[in-house]
Amino acid sequence: MSVAIQLEGASKRYRTGRSRTLVDLVASTVGEWRGRRAEVHSATRGTVDATIHALRDVSFEVPQGAGLGIIGRNGAGKTTLLKLISRVTWPTSGTVRVAGHVVSLIELGAGFHPELTGRENVYLGAGLFGLTRAEIDRQFDGIVHFADVERLIDTPMKRYSSGLYARLGFSVAIHSRPDIVLVDEVLAVGDATFRRRALEALRGLIAEGRTVLFISHDMWNVRRLCSQILWMEDGRVRAHGPAGEIAERYMNEVNLDAMANQDTALQSHRGGTGEVRFESVELVDEHGAPAATLRMGDTLEVRATYRAVQRVERPVFQVALVDVDTGVVITTASSSPADTPAFVEGEGGFVCRFPRVPLRPRQYVLRLAVMDQFQLASYDLITAGPRFAVVGQGAGVDSLADEQDGLVALPFEFAALGDRAAAGGRP
Amino acid sequence: MPPTLTDRPARLSRTAYVELLMNLMRREIKGRYSQSFFGAGWAIAQPLATMAVFTLVFARLGQMPSDGAPYPLFAYAALVPWFFFSNSVNTGTMSLVTYRNIVTKTYFPREIVPLAQVGSRLVDFGAAAGLYVLLMIYYGVGVGPWGALVPVFLLLLLLFTLGVTLLTSAVNVFYRDVNPVVQIGLQLWLYLTPVAYPLSAVPAEYRWFFLLNPLTGVIEGLRAVLLFGRAPEWPVVAISASSIITLFVAAAVFFKKTDKYFADVI
Repeated sequence: MSVAIQLEGASKRYRTGRSRTLVDLVASTVGEWRGRRAEVHSATRGTVDATIHALRDVSFEVPQGAGLGIIGRNGAGKTTLLKLISRVTWPTSGTVRVAGHVVSLIELGAGFHPELTGRENVYLGAGLFGLTRAEIDRQFDGIVHFADVERLIDTPMKRYSSGLYARLGFSVAIHSRPDIVLVDEVLAVGDATFRRRALEALRGLIAEGRTVLFISHDMWNVRRLCSQILWMEDGRVRAHGPAGEIAERYMNEVNLDAMANQDTALQSHRGGTGEVRFESVELVDEHGAPAATLRMGDTLEVRATYRAVQRVERPVFQVALVDVDTGVVITTASSSPADTPAFVEGEGGFVCRFPRVPLRPRQYVLRLAVMDQFQLASYDLITAGPRFAVVGQGAGVDSLADEQDGLVALPFEFAALGDRAAAGGRP
Repeated sequence: MPPTLTDRPARLSRTAYVELLMNLMRREIKGRYSQSFFGAGWAIAQPLATMAVFTLVFARLGQMPSDGAPYPLFAYAALVPWFFFSNSVNTGTMSLVTYRNIVTKTYFPREIVPLAQVGSRLVDFGAAAGLYVLLMIYYGVGVGPWGALVPVFLLLLLLFTLGVTLLTSAVNVFYRDVNPVVQIGLQLWLYLTPVAYPLSAVPAEYRWFFLLNPLTGVIEGLRAVLLFGRAPEWPVVAISASSIITLFVAAAVFFKKTDKYFADVI
């Protein structure tokens, strides 16, 4: 299998802070004469190094026809990596070799001009990707059809919605005969239907033997599209390998970090009027051990403590399980008379137990609220509480569930009509 | 044949390159004149209005000589190439910064951006030159055999404009100081170029200074062959032409040497 992308010891350094003015130039030149390193004077941190190492000694290869997911925190160097591969920028040291025509979707429709019609912009945008008029003529119907803009193609693009803008940009890019496609979080725009079609188009490109590099925070999309994952951290390659294995390691670490940072998580994303405040929220498994990852069918307990600064009559406690990508899966509330205390005052707590969690393998976040007895106003609201992941049995691409398959697994029995041998199953 | 690994940027086919340039020019022109009632008519208004003011100030009040030609025609013949140059440089200098969003996000030959700026001004130039023909007819001035040299001077004008624009747009990426310098410089440059007056009106001791300005040879030459129907002053043309070609080559080399850093600093 031939190599599509090859990086050898590639590093990229940037200067920080202000762009260089004459004053900076003089200051740094004088500094260099006196043998100092480039530095920035910061009022809060004293003197700090003025160069940022966006990438440090990055080496990896991508075989032709592979889907490579690139994951990592913000600032890990993912976008810089794509910019090096697309030749927008050059490595400070090391080499970046690429085979074939690269199309980058770092920003959809970046070359479009709002005063021009969709048709004119298709020619302009595809031209930026290196296509000739004759080639665009051949692709034109496909581009318009994929973006679903037949009706508005002769309208100036300033009349387009932002979703439509992105759709046409994406369509132009993937129809530009790329050998290598670079995708940077662009699928966050547009509606779910478009996201699905875009992912399918990218899968189609991989199937045709094109190479796709895909930056996303959506682990499920990464795993559905990519066979390999490159995990970037602080400008270095943290890990590079089979998608299932790397994704599992990454998610475990993210979840552990999230647990460690639960106190700060409770501080932000906070609402409510404040008569009652949650003091701690904890996720534990059936043995009472802290749980960030559970398997489908495990038991999950939410333990919360609160403090009421004044007496509150008949408060209702709400616990919601929210799918990180699609929204609320289920909301439970202590609204039955037996669950609801007549009043709360001072410190208290509750346990909400979910026996045999039937959630499909995805990432979830907890939302908690203390509300008045009519559930109209909240005393306290934590919109982004602790996170947890449900994992399946395997570690392959299929171990994360597609939102189209639904989010909840119900026990079911399946039988062919007229056949007495019933096939039973638990999902 | 499968593509091979390379550490050099992919090259566009010549057709794709020219078409991209054309598309960017179209984008510029459309962006400039869309939703304006007079549209490209504004391209004529600028030299025409300046001609009127120059005629009033220099010819009527200042008794400026025009070597025997009607002064309005004399001024207009120089204002059309002048505004082509000054408008190109004016918007060209900021062009890479204006196109920041595509320069930092996609790879394509960077010189296309300033080239498209200059190219888009050719349309304005064409419209203003059309009016010049009408003015010639109105004043009853014919074009002699020397008029055959017009394309040579237009080519020199184009090369000089391209050279300056490539240079200022590239340096402006690194130091935005270039833009204000260019804005002020262009205003002064107009008066230091024989546009409102003939080179013959310049005292002999200052003549060397005007010859340093490559536009002197271009504008004086254009006026000689087009308006006066005589041979240009060959030494002046030679000085201008050699400095223009040197500048253009130097600017092009400088641009291609620096363009890989544009996306980092822009």
